[in-house]
Amino acid sequence: MERIRNILKKCLAFILGKSKSILVTIKPSLIAICMGLIAGIIMMLIFNPSETLSGLRNLLIGVIYRNNQLNLRGILTTLHHSTTIILTGIAVVFAFRTGLFNIGASGQMMMGAYVTVHVGVLWSLPAPFHWIVGIFLGVVAGTIYGLIPGILKAMRNVNEVVTSIMLNWIAASLLVYLVNRNVLNPFTQGGSQNIQPTAIIPRLFSNYQLTIGFLIAIAMGILAHFLLYRTTLGFQLRASGFNVDGSKYAGMNTKRNIILSMGISGAFAGLAGALLFSNYGKTLSTEVHVFMEGFEGISVALLGLGEPIGAIIAGIFLSYIKQGGFYMQPAFRPEISDMIIGVIIYFTAISLALQLALKKYSGKIKTFIKRKHLTTREEDEQ
Amino acid sequence: MKKFWLFLVLFVATFTLVACGDDDPLDEDPTNFKIAMVTDVGDIDDKSFNQGTWEGIEAYGDANDKEYAYFRPSSVSTADYIETIDLAIAEGYRIIVTPGFLFEEAIHDVQFRHPGVYFILIDGAPHSGDFTPDIASNTLSIFFNEHESGWLAGYAAVMDGYESLGYLGGMAVPAVVRFGVGFVAGAYYAAYELELDTFDFETRNYAYLGGFSPSDEHKNTALAMYNRGVEVIHAAAGGAGNSVMLAAEELDDKWVIGVDIDQRDESTRVITSALKGLGIAVQTALDDIYEQEFEGGRSLTLGASEDAVGIPTGTNAFDRMNTFDIDDYDRIYNMLGGKVLNVPKTPQELVRYIDALGYSVTTGLEAKAQGS
Amino acid sequence: MTYKIEMRNITKRFGNLTANDQVNLQVKKGEIHAILGENGAGKSTLMSILFGLIPADEGDIFIDGKQVHIKTPNDANRLGIGMVHQHFKLVEAFRVIDNIILGVEDVNKGLLSYQEARTKINELIKLYGLNVELDALIRDISVGQQQRVEILKMLYRDSEILIFDEPTAVLTPQEIKELIAIMKGFSREGKTIILITHKLNEIKQVADRCTVLRRGKMIDTVNVIDVSINEMADMMVGREVLFDVSKAPQAVGESILKVHNLTVKSPEQTFVKNVSFEVFSGEILGLAGIDGNGQTELIQAITGLRPFQEGTLTFKGIDVTNMSIREKYELGFAHIPEDRQRYGLILDFDLQSNLVLQNFYMEKFQSKFMLKFDRIREHSEKLINRFDIRSEKGPSTIVRNMSGGNQQKAILAREIQKPHHLLIAVQPTRGLDVGAIENIHKQLIDERQKGKAVLMVSLDIDEIMDVSDRILVMHEGEIVANVLAKDANINELGLYMLGEKREANNDGAHS
Repeated sequence: MERIRNILKKCLAFILGKSKSILVTIKPSLIAICMGLIAGIIMMLIFNPSETLSGLRNLLIGVIYRNNQLNLRGILTTLHHSTTIILTGIAVVFAFRTGLFNIGASGQMMMGAYVTVHVGVLWSLPAPFHWIVGIFLGVVAGTIYGLIPGILKAMRNVNEVVTSIMLNWIAASLLVYLVNRNVLNPFTQGGSQNIQPTAIIPRLFSNYQLTIGFLIAIAMGILAHFLLYRTTLGFQLRASGFNVDGSKYAGMNTKRNIILSMGISGAFAGLAGALLFSNYGKTLSTEVHVFMEGFEGISVALLGLGEPIGAIIAGIFLSYIKQGGFYMQPAFRPEISDMIIGVIIYFTAISLALQLALKKYSGKIKTFIKRKHLTTREEDEQ
Repeated sequence: MKKFWLFLVLFVATFTLVACGDDDPLDEDPTNFKIAMVTDVGDIDDKSFNQGTWEGIEAYGDANDKEYAYFRPSSVSTADYIETIDLAIAEGYRIIVTPGFLFEEAIHDVQFRHPGVYFILIDGAPHSGDFTPDIASNTLSIFFNEHESGWLAGYAAVMDGYESLGYLGGMAVPAVVRFGVGFVAGAYYAAYELELDTFDFETRNYAYLGGFSPSDEHKNTALAMYNRGVEVIHAAAGGAGNSVMLAAEELDDKWVIGVDIDQRDESTRVITSALKGLGIAVQTALDDIYEQEFEGGRSLTLGASEDAVGIPTGTNAFDRMNTFDIDDYDRIYNMLGGKVLNVPKTPQELVRYIDALGYSVTTGLEAKAQGS
Repeated sequence: MTYKIEMRNITKRFGNLTANDQVNLQVKKGEIHAILGENGAGKSTLMSILFGLIPADEGDIFIDGKQVHIKTPNDANRLGIGMVHQHFKLVEAFRVIDNIILGVEDVNKGLLSYQEARTKINELIKLYGLNVELDALIRDISVGQQQRVEILKMLYRDSEILIFDEPTAVLTPQEIKELIAIMKGFSREGKTIILITHKLNEIKQVADRCTVLRRGKMIDTVNVIDVSINEMADMMVGREVLFDVSKAPQAVGESILKVHNLTVKSPEQTFVKNVSFEVFSGEILGLAGIDGNGQTELIQAITGLRPFQEGTLTFKGIDVTNMSIREKYELGFAHIPEDRQRYGLILDFDLQSNLVLQNFYMEKFQSKFMLKFDRIREHSEKLINRFDIRSEKGPSTIVRNMSGGNQQKAILAREIQKPHHLLIAVQPTRGLDVGAIENIHKQLIDERQKGKAVLMVSLDIDEIMDVSDRILVMHEGEIVANVLAKDANINELGLYMLGEKREANNDGAHS
């Protein structure tokens, strides 16, 4: 028993990259997930009590197992949809680990998406190069867009949260302008044209949506982890993130660090947009709106405990719950899974407070028991 | 700590126990076919296009005791539309209704893979990405003459005494362009019938909002339009139309003409709506399927001749009008339905139409209507 | 007899560490009772238990002979216990009076009513000589005055037991004198005072009795009048302490750092006015002055943490005026910063990372941008052994979890072991206990023996006198005196510091 536990611990430690008390670390996330599911069950009982059991089954395992067979499509689609939020999650995590709050992942993602679509629609290149170039330039666009708040923060000490939120809306409008101007679909006028077949990122299995983009996202998570914790650059970036004055004292160029960090974060977000829009049948809308995936990245980062590897796991998990909601149809609205995710994120955010409260409570219980113990002892003595 | 893990294990175990059970088997009896609607980005309560379709299905299902449901894709892409349709089929639904041109490529994919399933595609025709219609025999694609509906609304407004009109479309997608073109044309035709010397539909009062969701920005656009003298705006913009209604409510004597379904309950300022017979069209198609008279492999265009467009004519339908009434409407509607009158469909035709009526075209109107 | 406060057999454990081990404390009504101990001896833990900040694992508390259960600071307040924390808990943007009444305000028809509060506070001010402007904003008044606000807060709540946690750490000598007078006033009025400190001469001046803690255990409670400072120190440290700093003679060598006409200002204020001086190898140059006279800004300008407007810096003949901080380190600067938590350490990094904070990028610890963690660990283990840095998990300890003294040791270790010619040490012993101070002074003198130049800034005039070879005094951004330590006397230095006296001619070089 002890041995199994040790092996399990080691596996988890390997995944999360820390050697001690991994279970304690992920406990808040687990509590939050339980809370989210309980809230989901309550909602389901309210809306459609007779279907609650089957709905719950679909929510929890519908992605894996449906109609008495393995649901391979569900699994692969889940992984496919997780690609984007894993990457925006990594973008938020990376900035967060270096003391910055990149709330502008959406905007960086939009710029990456546009450039990829632009290249995919208008350029003509042979197959492997076309999508590679499209995605690469998308990453470049995201990087540049991420650098803007970084430079403003480093040079003029403008809060990156404010600038990156504003840049999200600038990106949203700019995107519509550029789509209308360059890649508008003349037949529908409601969005961009389809990218050329050469610009479509290869799928892993021809009949399933999952592309090699997912593998790239996983690789990026590992790369981000590596960059942060194993390289001199990561050392400096994290030092600046924890303590700007201390890093400055240590001779680090804190301004350069801020700019670099936002640029790298923007690159991850740009990659998210580039990969998403190099999929078959994915077009940019001409309606001005900010991509939600950037904000979902914040949720992923939170649930993933601010670690790149955690972002991979959290991204897949949230995508799993979302896809589970999809498979609850038509008995339940897929919005139930959105709500469950909302509750999970909410509880992740307050779980620290929750834990403290539990601790306090358990302390009271202990003293109560102790006092009781004492009084009974006194009674015995009498 | 140990208690926590115990709790967690119990929690997981409970769910695993729950995870047993069976799904409904597929029903092969045609009279028991279940109807599924698959929505795109919008939801079924968009007060407009999706809602019109859904209400049609609901009414039909309730009246004829058929099972119906709707599905929403997990994200916006052709691949996800296909997966959603596949899910509905796997759940035993044999009739799939999809509103919107966004489904064109998805339907093209599924219609061949599921020959035993009926597809009704509204406002679009399946194609493989090249915009050349390729409709399988199990698919019916339905279009509407939105320009006729818009024409009637524009005509009614001017006949009712309004002289300064405005048009706000959601985005310059084909159906919305047709509403606008018809609306302007109808207004000019009324002016021609009233023998007005001059009539101008100002170019600046014709605009696309760039979206179908309500927002303060859209409301401000409408406010600005009202403030420069426009009395009534035809809002062909789905949920964004509600922002136009809010703007009208803030001012005195400003009015709105709704779109797709009768929107008079959305706001007291809605004098009428340019209808699109979504419900009727869907119900007719469903009826054909259950009666085994379904004729697929074609695209259908419904207009005034088919009684599928127009403005509401029920009780109280004209009570927000000044003088225009059901008799005036019936007269003109019959002329339209009997093909006595010709209604322009494209911005190019609109320009020629206005010219032929003897009015001068305001500069830039054609380009504006085109959406560029 | 009944004690005002009695804590019996208090035990508190944090993991494996026993912070308080069966501690007994008995405080009489109206006395000033000092609690003496090194950092980490358990003083703060004991007081936190008394004030309801943390629960004790074992033991009982009695106030006026009655057993009480103190679970929160509110319980403590109800029992008449008030505490002035080392770090004040004041709302900076509020006025003094608002801070005093905060939480116990009188409300009249939904509006704050100040009338009675003001009368009561003014009486307290008069009674104890706690002069402070009631309508000034907290951020506009000095640290000493802020402390008075904290004291007034306790008095306003009718506290009978007043706990002072290291109250003199932030005060100037003048302010310390005033505080001592105030505390004696409280004692006369019958209030009971607990004073947490490790400054022996303060205890001697003010306290009636003293309880000594060492490594979580209570050593003894003594009448202050009966024991000497040396005896108290021995009890605290557990061995004999040498107060005299012994220095072997050392020849002064070449000029290491030359500061010429340095001026530091912000748009609002000039911090350093046209300052010039030199530091030579083999000497400890002490920079004395009352806090806030430009010492901090001067050092920050020299080290590169703050830009300066005029002047030049020359290091061993090389012009370093426009060099980056890293370039200066590479040339041979070492710097123990004033605020070790803000500047000296990345508190959330582990110890080994902190020990390579300035040279992680060098060949030794890095190849192809990858950190060599085995080398870093090896390096840190060496320093940990050599400098006796104590921590729970060795190189992997998160520095935030280390005691202040060990944090300072880590910085000292890092700065002294790296190749350097100049060591700038700003308040190197601030907040440390006697044993640690002794060690740091020894290390500074070792540096001098090795021929390094040492520039030490201190607010403690005794430290300056004991350790330095030469003393500069700063007043209002200028250097007003440059004297050899052996020729200096403390009164004269005091006059320089207050700006009452200044040398007619000084160029900062040897006089």
